[in-house]
Amino acid sequence: MSYVAHQPHDLLEAVGGIPLPEGDVVVEARDVHKYFGRLHVLKGLSMTVKRQEVVVVIGASGSGKTTFIRCINHLEKIQSGRIFVNGHLIGYREENGRLREDRERNIAAQRAEIGMVFQRFNLFPHMTALENIIEAPLRVRGMPEAQAREMGLALLERVGLSVKADVYPGRLSGGQQQRVAIARALAMKPALMLFDEPTSALDPEMIGEVLDVMKELAREGMTMIVVSHEMGFAREVADRVVFVDDGMVLEEGKPDVIFANPQLQRTQAFLSKIL
Amino acid sequence: MKGRTWITRPRPAIVLVGAVLLLIVLLSGCSARQGGTYIYDWSIFWNSIFRPSARILNGIWLTVSIAITGQIIGIVLGVFGALGRLAKFRPARYLANFYVWIFRGTPLLVQIMFLYYGLLVTHIYTWPDIVVLGITLPSAIQAGIFALGVNEGAYMTEIVRAGILSVDVGQLEAARSLGMTYPMAMRRIVLPQAARVIVPPLGNEFNNMLKTTSLLVVVAVPELFVTFNQLNGSGPASFHPFELFLACAVWFLLLTTIWSIIQGFIERRLGRGYGGERPPGLFDRLFGTRLRIDEPVIVARGR
Repeated sequence: MSYVAHQPHDLLEAVGGIPLPEGDVVVEARDVHKYFGRLHVLKGLSMTVKRQEVVVVIGASGSGKTTFIRCINHLEKIQSGRIFVNGHLIGYREENGRLREDRERNIAAQRAEIGMVFQRFNLFPHMTALENIIEAPLRVRGMPEAQAREMGLALLERVGLSVKADVYPGRLSGGQQQRVAIARALAMKPALMLFDEPTSALDPEMIGEVLDVMKELAREGMTMIVVSHEMGFAREVADRVVFVDDGMVLEEGKPDVIFANPQLQRTQAFLSKIL
Repeated sequence: MKGRTWITRPRPAIVLVGAVLLLIVLLSGCSARQGGTYIYDWSIFWNSIFRPSARILNGIWLTVSIAITGQIIGIVLGVFGALGRLAKFRPARYLANFYVWIFRGTPLLVQIMFLYYGLLVTHIYTWPDIVVLGITLPSAIQAGIFALGVNEGAYMTEIVRAGILSVDVGQLEAARSLGMTYPMAMRRIVLPQAARVIVPPLGNEFNNMLKTTSLLVVVAVPELFVTFNQLNGSGPASFHPFELFLACAVWFLLLTTIWSIIQGFIERRLGRGYGGERPPGLFDRLFGTRLRIDEPVIVARGR
């Protein structure tokens, strides 16, 4: 049996396009500090991501790159600094110059605008592929069921999984699960997509089908932050590669520049290990 | 699916037939010794089973309805108790811990006595007789249901908590990253998955509950056991404890058997989406021929 690569297409059209940008800057992180107990994980990380930009974040395990993108949708609290998405402070309210955690309802509303794809897919195992996709549009957005199903099926078709609509995640391969997970995030029409090592839990032969979907998404103009060591992907679609080391951005630039000619010794050492 | 282990005991039919044969021999052996002081009256046994009086039927009805109501109260309290124990909000945690501590740490019999007589004589609370749809619900039954339910809730708290903790944290994170609030994520994503883990021990609990209704003898609720106890105490069948309590046991066995069938049904329904072979059916369940050891849970997370 040969696998005929399905070409993902018109992903954003399936959800009726992406929301109109509120500004040119989508993500702005300023001097973010994060502790796990006494462990200082993010040590003043700053980063700006512009509209329709694709940023690939690389760095050694434990450098804080995953923690950082989890802060962007407030799955992790931060101890100081500010993170803005489309100009809105994420997770906190500022009162007299001090940060106070925002109300659950407001945080949830912010997260609804930010798509996230996890390393281990995290599909809901008690729901079919289609149910996974339409759950949040139905419950969070209050979309009518017929409309949600239509959109869900359109998304599944465009990631090449039409025939798997009524299949439970347990019966899908890793690559198929991750494609459903991307469709699930897209169904909320996010202004920004975060990818947390989306291919590192996959068997090698399944990495391509997931990267194809991500490349298509980048081509269609989605703003994306991708934590990944897929250098081929970074070379092909990234506008910028950011090297995070010890909780800070150490070096950044266009992928060919960073990969071919890293300035700092730490970057060179890291790249020599993974390239 | 690979990686599943099944415990298989050979020849369940032989075990079953053997058990029945042994029982018959035992019983007839007992009956043959009529030279003793005890006169067997097997018609009491057979009538109690095949031609149960209205009193017995009422006892069965009470046992079943009290057990179901008590269990439902227990489940509801258990869900809230578990959410309380897992809450970030400290007072909720303390309250839930206190509740479990008290009701798991004291005998159910003491709780029943205290909640009925204790509150009654001090006039702290007197259970009123309530009339619902023309049926009077006596105070003793209300107190009994309440005591059983609240006690059960303490145990269900721990069972539900274990069920919630068995769900990978990634599920809650995925739900929240899609914009769901904590209560919504719990209700739609985490609890349905926890249910699969909760149902087998819940089955045990309800099985126990059906039998534990007997403790309501102390507040004179005429459920199944109490009815047979009364039949033994006075009336035409009085002082036939052998036949009466054997019949009583058969009735309880019938109730718990029916429950195990229903439980199998629920488990198979909750197993949807998890692939693999179907859970043990009725025969396997009754005779323990094919009990599943659950698949290992894969947990791997990046940082």
